[in-house]
Amino acid sequence: MAKQTFTVGQVLTAAQLTSLQQTAMGGGSTTAKTTSYVLVAADAGTTVAMNAAGSTTITVNTSLFSAGDSVFIQNWGAGTCTVTAGTATVTTHGSLALGQWEGGTLYFTSSSAAIFFDISQSAGMTNPMTTTGDTIYSSSGSTPARLGIGSTGQVLTVAGGIPSWATASGGSLTLSTIASGSLPASSTLSLTGLTGDYYMLQIDQMTYATADSNMIMQFNTNTGSNYASISVSTTNADQAIYTAGSSFVIGSTTSISRTGTENGWIVEIKNSKNNGFHTATWMGRNQSASGNRAIMGQGYFMNATAITSIQVKISDGYSWTGGTYKLIGG
Amino acid sequence: MKITVTEINVQTGEEIFYERDETLEEKNLRLQLKAKAELAQVAEATKEQAKAAAEGKLAALGLTTDDLRALGL
Repeated sequence: MAKQTFTVGQVLTAAQLTSLQQTAMGGGSTTAKTTSYVLVAADAGTTVAMNAAGSTTITVNTSLFSAGDSVFIQNWGAGTCTVTAGTATVTTHGSLALGQWEGGTLYFTSSSAAIFFDISQSAGMTNPMTTTGDTIYSSSGSTPARLGIGSTGQVLTVAGGIPSWATASGGSLTLSTIASGSLPASSTLSLTGLTGDYYMLQIDQMTYATADSNMIMQFNTNTGSNYASISVSTTNADQAIYTAGSSFVIGSTTSISRTGTENGWIVEIKNSKNNGFHTATWMGRNQSASGNRAIMGQGYFMNATAITSIQVKISDGYSWTGGTYKLIGG
Repeated sequence: MKITVTEINVQTGEEIFYERDETLEEKNLRLQLKAKAELAQVAEATKEQAKAAAEGKLAALGLTTDDLRALGL
């Protein structure tokens, strides 16, 4: 039933009440139009349906409806039916062009303006996923695309403006043994060809010839005054600070027993590449004539180039007679 | 002083041996460490001598270090 203006004393028939009920519940019954149509005042509160094979319009003009009036618009036909602003304004968040089986409510905010609430159900997004672990991304605007699951260990990254799975690079550190063996029969072990960011050098059961001496470390065969370090020990006499040393003294500064078989160190080295500020941290146990001691130290090596080699050395030039080394890095 | 060096290239595995002269900085550090070690040895020896002398004096009195501990010293 169209919108009514009731009068005092008016008696409604059962048919009128049934129609009114239908209207209140969704627009009431209607006979579909088959050609383009211009809304009239009597359409307020009713359903206006279109059923045409070709394109049609439903035109909205001013001064026919009041604020609060509604018209339920449906398109049953195959042809697109477009809600068209005639002299009135029509706004919508959805679409004014209705495909078959689409519809919506035209709600008037004034006699000259209406909002079309498009309640049509679109087909929705076609699911592009096919495999467990797949994800969906926008390949172009709102076009969904499938991103197949990557391989174990791969990480999500961006290439060419779209997401993709790729083997992780950077951000992780894989350590492996780079070199290992017995300490040579010389006073210096120089490990060259280093390119990594991080190293850990282990020296175990070191013994050496001739007389008690000290254990020092250098980088890039650099013997200049570029090493600053501090070391502490369980023996007071071993405490040491070097502000411009020619190497790191990683062993006891009051000499290490050359025959002790429990001399060992672990040295961590951070190769800062071209930052010119490389750091090292060491821990060790040294035997000496007066007993065992624990050594711990930290220092930095000032050099504008990357560390490409490590030298460990008996400071007095004596040769090793035993012990092993292992360089781990990544 | 000559320094003997065994150089190992971790990329190729190539190992070479050579000698080189000690630099001035290395020499200074070596002498500094040696002097410190000698001082530590002297200090250690002095400490041992003082300990032995004290133990001798205690023995002359018929005491031992255990007696001193018993007295809370």
